[in-house]
Amino acid sequence: MAVTAPGQLNVNESPSWGSRSVDCFEKLEQIGEGTYGQVYMARELKTGEIVALKKIRMDNEREGFPITAIREIKILKKLHHENVIKLKEIVTSPGPEKDEQGKPDGNKYKGGIYMVFEYMDHDLTGLADRPGMRFSVPQIKCYMRQLLTGLHYCHVNQVLHRDIKGSNLLIDNEGNLKLADFGLARSFSNDHNANLTNRVITLWYRPPELLLGSTKYGPAVDMWSVGCIFAELLHGKPIFPGKDEPEQLNKIFELCGAPDEVNWPGVSKIPWYNNFKPTRPMKRRIREVFRHFDRHALELLEKMLTLDPSQRISAKDALDAEYFWTDPLPCDPKSLPKYESSHEFQTKKKRQQQRQHEETAKRQKLQHPQHARLPPIQQSGQAHAQMRPVPNQPIHGSQQPVAAGPSHHFGKPRGPPGPGRYPGGNPPSGYNHSSRGGQGGYGNTQYAQGRGGAPYGSGSMSGAGPRGGAGGGGGYGVGAPNYPQNGPYPGSSGTGRGSNVMGGNRNQQYGWQQ
Amino acid sequence: MADFQTSTQRAKWILSPQELGCRYKAANQRAIEALEKFGASLMEVDADGSLSYPDPQINLKDHADKHSRPKSLSIEEEQFMRVFYENKLQEVCNNFHFPHKIQATALIYFKRFYLQWSVMQHNPKNVMLTCIYAACKIEENHVSAEELGKGISQDHQIILNYEMIVYQSLEFDLIVYAPYRSVEGYVNDIEELFHENAEMLQMLKATASLDVDKIMLTDAPLLFPPGQLALAALRRSNEVHGVIDFNSYLDSILSRQNSTHTISELYEGINAIESLVNRYAFPSEKDLKHINRKLKSCWGLGSNDESKKREKKSKHKSKRSSNEMQNRPLHN
Repeated sequence: MAVTAPGQLNVNESPSWGSRSVDCFEKLEQIGEGTYGQVYMARELKTGEIVALKKIRMDNEREGFPITAIREIKILKKLHHENVIKLKEIVTSPGPEKDEQGKPDGNKYKGGIYMVFEYMDHDLTGLADRPGMRFSVPQIKCYMRQLLTGLHYCHVNQVLHRDIKGSNLLIDNEGNLKLADFGLARSFSNDHNANLTNRVITLWYRPPELLLGSTKYGPAVDMWSVGCIFAELLHGKPIFPGKDEPEQLNKIFELCGAPDEVNWPGVSKIPWYNNFKPTRPMKRRIREVFRHFDRHALELLEKMLTLDPSQRISAKDALDAEYFWTDPLPCDPKSLPKYESSHEFQTKKKRQQQRQHEETAKRQKLQHPQHARLPPIQQSGQAHAQMRPVPNQPIHGSQQPVAAGPSHHFGKPRGPPGPGRYPGGNPPSGYNHSSRGGQGGYGNTQYAQGRGGAPYGSGSMSGAGPRGGAGGGGGYGVGAPNYPQNGPYPGSSGTGRGSNVMGGNRNQQYGWQQ
Repeated sequence: MADFQTSTQRAKWILSPQELGCRYKAANQRAIEALEKFGASLMEVDADGSLSYPDPQINLKDHADKHSRPKSLSIEEEQFMRVFYENKLQEVCNNFHFPHKIQATALIYFKRFYLQWSVMQHNPKNVMLTCIYAACKIEENHVSAEELGKGISQDHQIILNYEMIVYQSLEFDLIVYAPYRSVEGYVNDIEELFHENAEMLQMLKATASLDVDKIMLTDAPLLFPPGQLALAALRRSNEVHGVIDFNSYLDSILSRQNSTHTISELYEGINAIESLVNRYAFPSEKDLKHINRKLKSCWGLGSNDESKKREKKSKHKSKRSSNEMQNRPLHN
């Protein structure tokens, strides 16, 4: 056979067709790892430019090229904005590739596909979690304004991001903030008539309408996440660190008050409202809990954390808020301090060692059978309990409080990892994810050990605490996995949860809702 | 705002007639070179998306008198082949009741694919199916490969094998702007301007949409932006129904848009599109038979060398497991 793999047909700088080869880049180090594949820092040989390479995993795809990757490519090629990560090109690798252990990675498509991004030094979570880091008010305003500007641009172009969280906000050393990881994003039409999946957005940043099962929604879902990030920046720690959906809703209700037909007309018609409506009256307490925030910040936060999505502030209106136009004004990004890159080789090594240590520690804990089916966040959830005591009452009696499924569900929100990769019911694999939980806006969870627990003072657990969502695998964790199998989530057992061994994974991506 | 103006379609995939001619010629030339080098020009696309040419025949040199070698297709013959399969593509989409948008996206993918390749290198039937499959995915109207394959009794694995090559050939530029929406936009605009009755406008739109179908089968989508294609369709439709004074409508568009186009440029474009539709030719049955026979021999599938075919098959079997997977019938 005169074999010519795609890459070999065009190893040269300007191929006659198709994409360049990944051989045009020299991989420097791995900076991310997730269910989707790996992210590398790399140098373009010709120009010396530093880029990020995100590998698209192709295995176990009965339907060929993953739809999530298609959406991400499609959307990123459409969006051109200084606050949206730039997809530079797609490159392919010719031959079979090996995984970290040097084994063939079981990829059906033996050549790899990589998305080439501009390289960014940090992500917001990583930066915030640096020991001793304190953002100034003009700095927070500067980041918030960039976040809102980028998001407004997405929304104007009818793109929902659907995974806004600190680890998906990349920051370079010029102080520029860019939205990244559009792997869950999709286009929407203004009439909100299409049914979309409510299994998106990392749990801690997921708005009440999605938690209540809404499948018709719009840009307001992203604005809730922005509100969570805003409060987190000012407060110093995540404000809704729920360990599962019921607890997540409970935490939201405790701070924002319980929804009813008065503050949220139509809420009682949302699918799971009756399953989750609080049994006792709960008042809105944002102003009380965050009384130390300045007046304008509080005012804006109130509007972002509005329960009723139709009344929630839009990105455009938020940019006009007093907060951004009163002293101290947002600073110029360029004036921000430059921080040592989070991807430094030395720190990575250190992080890896730390991670191994933590994983060993956790595996030992897992020997207890009663924990074997629980997601890791449960343990770290307690670490945050000091913030606001949460009465440990189940919201719905008959329902299992946490994801009861085998832990391989944890890694699945994005589809690609198949049953083979995360053997069902093998708890440690679930822990692998969450222990890496959080950074990595290129779309893959980065090693999160750098985050330590220190800034949050929540002890050793917070290093493992999945910012990336309860058990969801960090930068990838879309939280979806935590739906109780027998809970009030229609479709969660039959459609997307892998109950159908061959097709479960696909159904999730292509199913009745998208 | 991300729209046609900032799109890859505008930046990369609208060519001048000269460029288009060069691209077709270059693709044809590459296939001829492969034919000369390997004795056959059809590329094998593996389950992993890798490409390969058939083995060069060992004794090619000895028998290399020009007469025994397969004759290559001319550029015009290639064009006929594409025309045939583009019609097939529309047929398949209609049978599946896919919306216009998907049909248009698939057609444009097909056209772009064959800017890079010759039909002598990739079987247009496979490419056509894969383009439909990809268009469904991109337009969020997913149909499984299996379902699509079943619907037309084709092995769906071929679709999956070809998917990556198609995306790569499209340079992953997946968003396509089709003229159907532009037609709607213009009709709404006409309604506001001329206050024509709704029934007339509905007819204008319906006929224009059929005209777009015709335009989409020509080279016009590779030469003109979707807005101009839509105007050409509307003008044809208006000639039938006589709803408005079309020339004054074109004037009004330009005057309202501060367009950089002059009215004569616009006329020129629309006339050119019109003439592409009028010149559009579908190959006769006889032509098709002839071309198909030539094509098969280019592909190395000539009826006179059964032995070669068999040899190829046995090689297939001994190949990697991925290939075995591919050949295994699918029972769930």
